[in-house]
Amino acid sequence: MVLTLFGVSIIVFLVLRLLPGNALTSSLGVSAGLLSHAQLVALDHYYGIGEPVVQQYVSWLHAILTGNLGVSLSSRTSVASLVGAALPVTFELAIAAMLLGLLIGVLFGVFGALRPGRVVDVSGQGVSVIGLGVPSFVIGTGIVTLLASVFQYFPSSESFASLASDPWLNIQQIFFPAFTLSLGIGAAIMRTTRASMLEVVGQNYVRTARGKGLSRHSVTWKHIFLNAFIPVLTMSGIQLGYLLGGTVIVEQIFVLPGLGRLLVESINGRDFPVVQSVTMIFAAGFVVVNMIVDVLYAVVDPRIRNR
Amino acid sequence: MSVTGLGPAPSMPGDVDLVAQPEGRQGLLRALWHSANGRVGLVLAGVVVAAAIVASFGGTPYDPQFQNAAALLQHPTWSHPFGTDQFGRDILSLVLDGLGVSLEIACLAVAIAGVIGTIAGVVAGFLGRWTSAVIMRVTDMMFAIPAILLALIVVAALGAGWLNSAIAIGVGYIPIFVRVVRGPVLALRESGYVSAGRVLGFSRRRLLFRHILPNVSGILAVQTSLALAWSVLAEASLSFLGLGPPPPTASLGEMVSQAGSLAATAWWTLAFPSVAIIVAVIGFNLLGDGLRDAIDPRTRKR
Repeated sequence: MVLTLFGVSIIVFLVLRLLPGNALTSSLGVSAGLLSHAQLVALDHYYGIGEPVVQQYVSWLHAILTGNLGVSLSSRTSVASLVGAALPVTFELAIAAMLLGLLIGVLFGVFGALRPGRVVDVSGQGVSVIGLGVPSFVIGTGIVTLLASVFQYFPSSESFASLASDPWLNIQQIFFPAFTLSLGIGAAIMRTTRASMLEVVGQNYVRTARGKGLSRHSVTWKHIFLNAFIPVLTMSGIQLGYLLGGTVIVEQIFVLPGLGRLLVESINGRDFPVVQSVTMIFAAGFVVVNMIVDVLYAVVDPRIRNR
Repeated sequence: MSVTGLGPAPSMPGDVDLVAQPEGRQGLLRALWHSANGRVGLVLAGVVVAAAIVASFGGTPYDPQFQNAAALLQHPTWSHPFGTDQFGRDILSLVLDGLGVSLEIACLAVAIAGVIGTIAGVVAGFLGRWTSAVIMRVTDMMFAIPAILLALIVVAALGAGWLNSAIAIGVGYIPIFVRVVRGPVLALRESGYVSAGRVLGFSRRRLLFRHILPNVSGILAVQTSLALAWSVLAEASLSFLGLGPPPPTASLGEMVSQAGSLAATAWWTLAFPSVAIIVAVIGFNLLGDGLRDAIDPRTRKR
């Protein structure tokens, strides 16, 4: 895991530093062409861009590891404070979206698979077609429009309230973006849950469990669902990547001051220290969650635990 | 095709037979048409591609950028079937043009991802352990950055633009091609006919291009279709965030973003660009699913 993150840091660094048009020329724009070679060299030296790449990378890595994320070029505040303010918002949004997605996906998937072709199953399939086919920015824009025009409801018009300061407003502000994201996740989880459940439903031990008179509840959740859960877990892990990418877009639509919004703003403002840090945090989050998923495999399935 | 200097050529069946092709092209199309996914996907993707081609050759009903000050935000009518936007531009023409741009970018992106990813995947599967280990490590690292984020930082580095969007989206999709191609190549390398070819002294290049690549072509076709769907979506997302090609290049994502503030009073500004994106994404996704069903008979029955 550490190795992967180390590699990610190299990729992020290389992409942002070495592609044509470095931070310097892109922040100066066309006027970079007017500078003399000597001036460019002087500027390169000033910003430390003239140093060998390896040295630049090592000093950046050292700074990150010691918690110094650098200074934002546009707002002149420390990147750590910007990120610190934005991280909880995205964290809350991601958790809420994941929970909602699991709720939608698992419920429709389980009950759909128990009675294929019936109302629950068919409506679940309908939701999954929407979730998989309609991009989150279309759903989000649609929801904002609907709320504003039909219900005259603008949860994002007030400035963002944290869960601690104003829980009720916070829930209103987080719910709709989380719902927007959860449709896509829920659709994928639903498909996996349904397919996985259908494979287990026909097993002999399920018939045995029913035959010895266990309650329907117990059979469904303990005997079928728990055995069908591993693929669902895998899918949830995969969806997390989608989720992190999705927060970037949804935060933009619902005007949430999270990491995604910070990222887009800093890309537009060519604020590379911020872009680097935010990307690293997203990647770190993704890697950590995938590790948690690996651990959860063992929790869910004793066979994996004892191996 | 005789092997000079080694006596008479071994009496092997021709290469075409070596590369097992249970069904010809006809069969594949028929199988594609027989799966419900494939049929719907083929139709939707066909409509999208046709619209994009028409637009690319200037076949839009109006000049997409023509601003008719006398027809601002008009409802859909016969003269403007999709209505007009806040500048009086014809939305049908804009949507067609946007689809064209979107598909051009998507095709280039998929070409980039497909070529680089396939080469890397084949090399990782076919060549020795070290190269393979290095490539897969890098792939894992790229996977740790969600694809859309990878695209975002590439755009951040290169700046927004037509070509840069394509490069960014392509780079984001490379790791998927690597993974999808490597597995089958790994299996094919150990398969009977490749071993036979090796024993016969076929060159590595010949084994690769005539015996291995044709057998991953099906997987590549499926993945290309899915990649097109993702690229259209990613392109729309980038331009929605204002990181796509700058105006006046038409772009569906940007139209959706602009429509956000108008849609409450003018639903058509949001609806039609959205539908165009959705049709393209669903179309290519279903086409990919259908191709998979058609190629893999095990999934076909379900």
